Amino acid sequence: MRKLSLLALLISFVAASSFAGGYQVRLQGQKQTGIGLIGTPLAFGASSIFYNPGSLSFMPNKADFSIGASGIFSKVVFQAKNSDYQARTDNPMGTPFYFYGAYKITDDLSVGLGVNTPYGSSSVWDDNWDGRYLIQNISLAAIYIQPTIAYKIGDKFGIGAGLDIVSGGVEINKALPDPVNGEFNLKGSTVAFGFNVGVHFRPTEKFNIGVDYRSKINMKVENGDTKFTEIPQSLQPYFPASGNFDATLPLPANLDIGLSYQVTDKLMLAFEFDYVFWGAYDSLIIDFKENNELLADSRSPREYKNSTIFRLGGQYNISDKIIARAGVYYDPTPTNEKYFSPETVSLDQIGWTVGLSFMPVKGLSIDLSYLQLSGKESVKMYEPDNFGGTYKSMAFIPGLGVSYSF
Amino acid sequence: MKFRYILFISLLGLLFACQPEIKDEFTYSSGNADFSTYVAVGNSLTAGYSNGALYHSSQANSYPSIIAAQMKKAGGGDFVQPVVNSEYGVLPGKLELGYKADCLGNTSMGPVPAQGQPEGYDPVGYTVNNMGVPGAKSFHLLAPGYGNPAGVPVGLANPYFARFATADDATVIGDAVAKNPTFFSLWIGNNDVLGYASSGGIGDTITGQQSYAYYMNLILQSLTSTGAKGVIANLPDISGAPFFNTVPPNGYVLTRQGQADTLNTFLGQYGFSYNVGPNYFIIADATAPLGFRQMVKGELLLLTVPQDSLKCAYWGGFNPNIMAPVPIPDQYVLTLEEIANVNDAIEGYNATIAALAQQYDLALVDINSYFDEIKNGVIYDGVSFSTKYITGNAFSLDGVHLTQQGYALVANQFIMAINGKFGANLPTVSVTNYKANDLP
Repeated sequence: MRKLSLLALLISFVAASSFAGGYQVRLQGQKQTGIGLIGTPLAFGASSIFYNPGSLSFMPNKADFSIGASGIFSKVVFQAKNSDYQARTDNPMGTPFYFYGAYKITDDLSVGLGVNTPYGSSSVWDDNWDGRYLIQNISLAAIYIQPTIAYKIGDKFGIGAGLDIVSGGVEINKALPDPVNGEFNLKGSTVAFGFNVGVHFRPTEKFNIGVDYRSKINMKVENGDTKFTEIPQSLQPYFPASGNFDATLPLPANLDIGLSYQVTDKLMLAFEFDYVFWGAYDSLIIDFKENNELLADSRSPREYKNSTIFRLGGQYNISDKIIARAGVYYDPTPTNEKYFSPETVSLDQIGWTVGLSFMPVKGLSIDLSYLQLSGKESVKMYEPDNFGGTYKSMAFIPGLGVSYSF
Repeated sequence: MKFRYILFISLLGLLFACQPEIKDEFTYSSGNADFSTYVAVGNSLTAGYSNGALYHSSQANSYPSIIAAQMKKAGGGDFVQPVVNSEYGVLPGKLELGYKADCLGNTSMGPVPAQGQPEGYDPVGYTVNNMGVPGAKSFHLLAPGYGNPAGVPVGLANPYFARFATADDATVIGDAVAKNPTFFSLWIGNNDVLGYASSGGIGDTITGQQSYAYYMNLILQSLTSTGAKGVIANLPDISGAPFFNTVPPNGYVLTRQGQADTLNTFLGQYGFSYNVGPNYFIIADATAPLGFRQMVKGELLLLTVPQDSLKCAYWGGFNPNIMAPVPIPDQYVLTLEEIANVNDAIEGYNATIAALAQQYDLALVDINSYFDEIKNGVIYDGVSFSTKYITGNAFSLDGVHLTQQGYALVANQFIMAINGKFGANLPTVSVTNYKANDLP
């Protein structure tokens, strides 16, 4: 019973403020976060379930458990074109979390289970801000449950695969422009499936190469709920107080390729690039179940493009009990020049990370990470609504995790 | 452990306080203009007239009032309007949206007279910066006594000017110059042709081109005599307003072939033709051989044509009881010739305005082109604007004057023209913060 209520609590907090390109959230392990969010070529234990199931084969211990969460404090400021009007988001703290458990059945065969939140977004603008006809607030959350199996081929190769069972929900609030002048709420949830496969190659003791592919998952909401409120009486027949919709939001595929090299006994450096197939996000289509002459299905173009994230990081063993980490990455916006929507303010971003692991006793690691992201000040437009101006974003993300292995 | 926890939470609190700041912030500037005393001169559009009335909230959001608030951020002074206190207005006639039943017993939403007490035209007792006078034509601005309260009941003076005229024999321009403006706006001439157009070409005459040019020159001589800089707006194509484009000229709809056959039998001999579907109305036309004829493509019916007469009294069609057509009276119709007169007048006035803008070194607001854009549909921050009646958001229920959103659009055009001409940097306003037509 206690476990159940904990899970419920976690789910209610999961909506993560958007901070990675689009609505992706890669804070799925504190050790990896500290090192520039690099994980594909690293065998840090159970958290490989997310970053590269193939790396699970190189897990140093028999069993490994890892749990953690981050607090995302993200802020966006907007200034309208040719105007002194400014608006700021009032985003709630995003709390992506993870839990991983992995176990070596034999020296070659490992199994594991991951529960994490690689996608999410939460933007809260003032209800009366200038962009209220595009978005007032949005919350998007997806919880992945990933049973995983990994197999080691010889000494040098590890392969792994996981099945992703994804439970997701979305809620959107926006205002309706004159002459309607009302409010619109949309809410829906769904379950969908995908997979995560990876290969880990260790040609020498010092050198690691990892390749991971996570599939696209179409979150198809069927029969979600719509609500129109504050509609003038004369228009109420056209904008029903309650109704239903279908919509699909793609969670894009990722291809991650990384290298790591143990430069000295104490220093390890790593490099990774992540190719994100954002091109899958073409448009947000809301298919109202019942249309009428004033209520047509809505199609909002997004036309995201694929993007490549570059990451560089390293870690240094200060002592047997303390490891320090640092990293940097560049995450270019996947958004389209013409269709930049304030619902997911995704600018070209630079992220700086630091991390620290403290190991008081053998097998136990307390992992801290801190990520600071700055989104480049940019002039952006959403042309279909002729809405735009200058955006700038920042995020501060401390994280805490614990892992235990034996 | 507890201490560490507290430290962690405080750290989070500190981070939470950090905010991104825009480096390229908006900087206010008056450029080489001086906005310390701004005076607006014009007609009902300048006054903030909307929904057939000048009332409190429409006046508060007049385009000069919006501009003045932005000027204030760049050295502008107070902007005083002849305040209307009531939401009903100075004179009767305000429209609002409501429900009414037509002659067939069908209830539908549309403009209905608002209920309220007119405030009257008692002088406000102070001088004002907004000298927009509803009803004023170009030459009225120069006419002594145009604001004499004694002249209002006998139709020799304007009640709106009577509210703030400084003397019985004051002129609008004289009062404007007396404010010693450093900056002025002028938008006048719509009524020089609107009276003609809105009466179907029979109730008023169009001010001649030479007269208009002469009056405008005198007005600008006076307004610039104190060294003031200014902005002038040209005139929109008024026949594009919803007042002239809402009732379709081919709104005589037949549903059965039998009806068309009957009409063709009786009226075909005059060259009229009828089909199932929409057909052109019959209108009175003294120049037609019969004194009436069918409308042709491009001709316009006014918003004021009585709908019940069209629906139940056979207006524009054929009355089977007397076996005769019932032409729509001329006062509700703009014929092709009348439309050409209106368009020629506006084109001529606008040429004058462009020349005078150059001569007096004024910023020129090309409202004519901008309203053509609106006609094709524009969108700002997700709100669509068009010349469509009621739902187009730009025009108020009288079909000629603007909504508060519409006036905000106009204010932004003025602001951009001022910025362009004088190297100023005034911020535009968010049009979505203003009201459009209020649906019940």
